[in-house]
Amino acid sequence: MNQYIEAVINAIKSFDPRKIVKNPVMFITELAMFVSLYLLAFHTQYGLNLTPVYIDFYISVIVLLFLTIFFSNLAESLAEGKSRNITATLKKMKRETNGRVIDQNGERMIPSSELRKGMIVEVRKDETVPTDGEIVEGRGYFNESSITGESKPVFKVQGDSVTGATILQDSKVKIRITADPGETFLDKMIELVEGSIRTKTPNEIALSILLSGLTLVFLIITSSVYTLGTFLNTNVNLFILVVLLICLIPTTIGALLPALGVAAINKVSQFNVIAKSGRAVENAGDIDTIILDKTGTITIGDREANAIYPNRDISMDQLYEAAYISSYFDETKEGISVVKKALENKPDLKSLDMTKYEFVPFTPDTKFSGVKKENQYIYKGSPNAIWELAGSKDNYIDARCAEISSRGGTAMVVISEKGILGAIEFNDILKPWIRERIESLKAMNIKPVMCTGDNELTAQYIAREASIDEVVANSKPKDKYDKVQEEKEKQRMVAMVGDGTNDAPALALADVGFAMNSGTQAAKDAANMIDLENDPTKLMDVIFLGKQILITRGSLTTFSIANDISKYFVIIPAVFFMFPDLSFINVLGFTDPLLAVTSALIFNTFIIPMLIPLAIRGVRFKPSGINDLLKRNIMVYGVGGVLLPFVAIGAIYYLLLGVGVVW
Amino acid sequence: MSNSGASTYSGNFWLTFFTNNRIVSGAIIILIYLAIISALGYLLAPYIRKLYKGENTFLSKYTAPIIEKIEKVAGVNPKNTSNFKGYFLSLIIFNFLVGVFSLTFLMIQGDFFKFNGQRPMNIYLAFNTIVSFLTNTNLQHYSSPLRLSYSDITVVIIGLMYVSAATGFAASMAFIRGIINDDGKLGNFFHDFLVSIFDLLIPLSLLATILLIIFGVPDTTYTSIVIHPFFDKFTVNIPIGPVASLEGIKNIGTNGGGFYGANAGYPFENPSWITNLIEVISFTIIPIGSIFAIGQVLENRKFSFMLFGVIMSLFAFSAFLAFFGEISGVPALSNIGYNFGGNYIGKETAIGISQSAIFGSAATLTSTGATNAALIDYTPAGMLGILFPLLLNDPLGGVGTGVLNIFSYVIFTVFLVSLMVGKLPEIMSLKISSKEIKYSTFSLIIHPLIIIVPLGFTLLFAPILMKSFVNTHPDQITALLYEYASAASNNGSEIGGFATNTPFYNTLDGIIMLLGRYPIMAFQLIVAESFSYKKPKVQYGRSVDIGSFWFGFMLLFTMIILGLISFFPVLAAGPLLAWGRAFSLSVGVVR
Repeated sequence: MNQYIEAVINAIKSFDPRKIVKNPVMFITELAMFVSLYLLAFHTQYGLNLTPVYIDFYISVIVLLFLTIFFSNLAESLAEGKSRNITATLKKMKRETNGRVIDQNGERMIPSSELRKGMIVEVRKDETVPTDGEIVEGRGYFNESSITGESKPVFKVQGDSVTGATILQDSKVKIRITADPGETFLDKMIELVEGSIRTKTPNEIALSILLSGLTLVFLIITSSVYTLGTFLNTNVNLFILVVLLICLIPTTIGALLPALGVAAINKVSQFNVIAKSGRAVENAGDIDTIILDKTGTITIGDREANAIYPNRDISMDQLYEAAYISSYFDETKEGISVVKKALENKPDLKSLDMTKYEFVPFTPDTKFSGVKKENQYIYKGSPNAIWELAGSKDNYIDARCAEISSRGGTAMVVISEKGILGAIEFNDILKPWIRERIESLKAMNIKPVMCTGDNELTAQYIAREASIDEVVANSKPKDKYDKVQEEKEKQRMVAMVGDGTNDAPALALADVGFAMNSGTQAAKDAANMIDLENDPTKLMDVIFLGKQILITRGSLTTFSIANDISKYFVIIPAVFFMFPDLSFINVLGFTDPLLAVTSALIFNTFIIPMLIPLAIRGVRFKPSGINDLLKRNIMVYGVGGVLLPFVAIGAIYYLLLGVGVVW
Repeated sequence: MSNSGASTYSGNFWLTFFTNNRIVSGAIIILIYLAIISALGYLLAPYIRKLYKGENTFLSKYTAPIIEKIEKVAGVNPKNTSNFKGYFLSLIIFNFLVGVFSLTFLMIQGDFFKFNGQRPMNIYLAFNTIVSFLTNTNLQHYSSPLRLSYSDITVVIIGLMYVSAATGFAASMAFIRGIINDDGKLGNFFHDFLVSIFDLLIPLSLLATILLIIFGVPDTTYTSIVIHPFFDKFTVNIPIGPVASLEGIKNIGTNGGGFYGANAGYPFENPSWITNLIEVISFTIIPIGSIFAIGQVLENRKFSFMLFGVIMSLFAFSAFLAFFGEISGVPALSNIGYNFGGNYIGKETAIGISQSAIFGSAATLTSTGATNAALIDYTPAGMLGILFPLLLNDPLGGVGTGVLNIFSYVIFTVFLVSLMVGKLPEIMSLKISSKEIKYSTFSLIIHPLIIIVPLGFTLLFAPILMKSFVNTHPDQITALLYEYASAASNNGSEIGGFATNTPFYNTLDGIIMLLGRYPIMAFQLIVAESFSYKKPKVQYGRSVDIGSFWFGFMLLFTMIILGLISFFPVLAAGPLLAWGRAFSLSVGVVR
């Protein structure tokens, strides 16, 4: 309740002309209110009719004008209140902690505000990460609930980035600080949410120009009505002219436009996505191609070792042992899952002495990893890499691999100096609802492209399952960049999801770069949106949202302009009510001109609060082709915008007449 | 109904049917006109496309050497292209110099080569006339053959008719180039100008002139025909002169200033139904051809058909409103049962109501402003049909300017429509930024502003300005609205109804015409320039389909709404009030 009181107070404060001048439509409305007050005060000079009926009319006009501005301010302050809540929660998280810095002078505690880029800090169990950084040593589960609200801890290994205010739940890690104070993720987030309220997107600017132009035209038209009256020797009541002006200028969209902008950023924040600008969100709505990483986007997390297939003369146990040894030092998630799988089936492997082995890390050239000891070795890697290493193909295992691929799995082959030992099957699990989401993307004419390092067969299988038509298989990091470039050359708007450092160029090149918070700093800097929950499918939510913002804005503008037609048919007959010959344009058959004018103004005023929820929530739309959407919105907001006021003003008029208001 | 007064024939059923059902036959005549002008416009389109793309036409082998020679003499290098600033500066300075020359010529002519009975122009009238012809408006505040010598007509009037039409076409060439190019260059104005004259205007106007001569329009150096009517002691002097050659460019260049004060209502300008058809064809052929040519140049024919559909809907609405307004007769008379086959007041009976209506609406839809009937005598409904295209700034437009005007509406609509479907606005893969919206909005709002502001001003000071406005009535509002709307949209059609040849109107109209021409053109070319820096189209289909039915629907919707919201109060106090009065008057008689 408190926030509503605050919003009302802010709405009243916003009557300050210096503040309202930024919104030309509302500025004119406020000016009209003051002019009306002035007219009423000096009524004798302007020959205003002062019978009680007219005095009621004048007062209700002034009150309604006041309400119009009030509702506009209220819409904005309600929206701003929400974003203020968001920044407040963010600021609360930014509490002061100490970091254990390790350098040549040994170990000491330093407050987080004095930590600088490049320092190495150690974080132990149940300690808070003092500020943003990158893990340089160790691994552990981090509780990120303070940022994402997700209580399930996230496992992070060397190279992953960690955010300040998250809590390490086990072991200890060493972190290299990547942000100076004031530049941390939280600082940037607060700055962005606050800043996005102030900066207008190009579309908003274009729309305000358009609305200002129309307002100018309406000012001139309203004055011309006065001269028309004078010319035809009738005295046009100046208050009716004020009402005409306010009904004509696009108050509906003018009142809601600032609120729309703020509401957009709020909604993005509700998704736990930080957009670096309002423009990025709008761009997201215009996406034609979306480049998705298979891992984490289409499939859940990382693939896990699922089953093993020993070679003809090898036993299951032998293969488990070999797989365990080859993956023991492997820090990738696949390696860890192999170790886990092996231990599940052969717990005694734990006692194996691994110190005698030397680690052979994975390189993009060799495409295998494992261990070696003198001239013994055990490696695991992609089938092709292993065939190359072995010098020949093992037909039995190769057939196994093909079988695994054909059902969407990934095969890895284990080899030792004695020969091919067998294959490990890794499986991907599709995210729930992914197929439906991809299909609704396709319904909106957005082309999803899946990039994966998997081989063609596996990639095709998963793409088919997820209903994706275009796949880049066997992709190297540069392929993503090339794909973005290729799509951009076709003049398409490209969105790209990424988290690794090698994704950074592609993220920067794409129109919308969507980085994971768990990703590297480079990726986060290059992207223009960052997801706190590390859920790449949320890009699709942002796309919906971006579209929704544009649709809301466009539809309300069309609605606002279309409304003018019906308001004309109510007010103009009232202005010229002394000419009975013109009564044929009085299509609603109103007999009381003052009441008709008031009804129009009442409609004009109260349509604003009625549309506030729509503005803050956004108009509903079904993901469908452009033409269907266009047809529907033209009928609803264009044609409907002409017809609705007739019905509504008519209803208000006869309601007022019914309850006995006689003017 | 209108079949009163029709005679019955026996024998041929269809002849009887059409003679007895004037509404049906009139409507069919209008449809035939619309079909013929659409077909001919479509046939001309490939030729205009070649001009837009700078390709050689079958006339190039004759015209290219001439253009080359003129450019050599004038020191113009056609390869020297410029951006908006250079292009528009050349355009405006050239127009200004031509204007100054013509003004001088007109002022001096009165002193040296006066014909019998001709009165020289004063500076206000001369200013108005020059501006009017320079801006392709051709509002005539003088009665033509009585105020101008034939050297004036040949040099100044016909000369300016070519200059203004060629300037408009050059501007549209620059606009199209802005969309196609990506180097920020709009072209070379002088080259475009010469191409427009030699490749487009001269061949077509020559053809039109020859056809008109064949069908009976005079073209001579004689000054008048002297007729001595039987049983009369006075002779009648009927002025004639280079009528057909003026008619040719008057219509082809969408100019509209006739040789005679009565314009095409005078038998020597428009003797028969066939010349009427030729004239309607000649002022619609280039605008319609340009609409189809845009689609061919931009390789989006659907877009052209959409534009054509939208404009033709307005055209048909205008023509049929005018036709039905007139065929139903003067309200005061028709309501008490006297119809006389429609309102023939002020119309040439040889041409009839349907052909007058289509001529009138074709003239206001293009910026021609020619007329073959006295518009002041139209019924309020008929008048509305002729008037409303002026309020939309001539949807079909003049030579060249039509393309520019319709694009302002298109950009405005694309902006709204794109937002409505959740896309960032773009047209032909060119992003529409706030700059384009700004200048399109300017070019759209300047039109109502330069009509409403002078109108309000005149109405406020009417009693001081003019004695005829002492007894005020809505028809005068219509007359003033028509006058300013015609000037602002550079149309030039006039209904008169009050003395326009006064220093006040001459100056005010002159200013309106200038504001309605050059600033709007400048804004539209700024938009073109800003497009010209952007990468050209690569593929379609990523945004709103601007060739689709629903886009066309929205375009029409936007045009009508923008027109209505700008002019509804004036329309209510003017033609609509007059309409209401006309009916209540007749109802009073019946009672």
